[in-house]
Amino acid sequence: MRAPKQIAIVPCSGIGKTYGSVSREAAYITTDEIRPGDTRLVALSRLVLGDEDARGVIADCPAVTIDGCKLACATKMVQESGGTVLQDFAVLDVYRRYRQFKPQGIAELNEGGQQLARALAEEIAQAVDQAMQVDREGQNG
Amino acid sequence: MPEYLETTVDKFLFKVAKDRCYSSAGVWALDLGNVVRVGLSDFLQQRSGDVAFVEVKPVGTLLAVEDWVATIETIKVNIELLSPVAGKIARVNPLMETTPEQINLDPYGEGWLCEIEASDWEADRVDLLDAPTYFTRMKSEAEEEAKKS
Repeated sequence: MRAPKQIAIVPCSGIGKTYGSVSREAAYITTDEIRPGDTRLVALSRLVLGDEDARGVIADCPAVTIDGCKLACATKMVQESGGTVLQDFAVLDVYRRYRQFKPQGIAELNEGGQQLARALAEEIAQAVDQAMQVDREGQNG
Repeated sequence: MPEYLETTVDKFLFKVAKDRCYSSAGVWALDLGNVVRVGLSDFLQQRSGDVAFVEVKPVGTLLAVEDWVATIETIKVNIELLSPVAGKIARVNPLMETTPEQINLDPYGEGWLCEIEASDWEADRVDLLDAPTYFTRMKSEAEEEAKKS
């Protein structure tokens, strides 16, 4: 199976919700810092509005979705847009694995929220690497 | 399977199991004969949000009515739950350690918190609400919250 050119990262759009903020922060860390070439951020709101560019990305690239609550809007919207969900992450499940990083705050996440977002981004990066079939250790060595 | 009283407020469906008593805070108590099982009402779990962690006081803990019996951390709040019954904790639901989301998925079934050997259940139950009374209060509270949002 050929590796995709890029992976779409689709976070929750829950404005005013701490877990939504964690999901978006994790998406920014992934797409801007740790896997900028391999990933592409897609705003959920653009998918909801039926934006052609956003739907085009979803049609071309498998997606990693990040859901802030059990409604799982990001995952459902990608599926409804005809996209493929490579892996879906729920912030709550990630928090259960990193209880020391308690997220608080909305407009500005606390230190715990920032750390949780980074831990989540690292998990997303692993999923991206698997999909891209990239041996980063080999590249770096 | 218990029977339920049900109401829809805004877009939310709330169920109240008919076979148990409730504290006004929404903690239920179900008489199982030798022990009283305790858990959260559907309204309380929905209002509190998705559960991340639960800590129940350990087996052997002696409780008076309204003593702190468990702490629940959800995506919205941390809640200290008060016991609706006096006695000794005989059993803690092991699922609270591994899959606390059972509180959200099945609040009247698999999502129970603990079982208490009641010291005087007949006396304690007098101060609790029966299902229809709790249902009326819960509905009123849910409607008030819906007006605010």
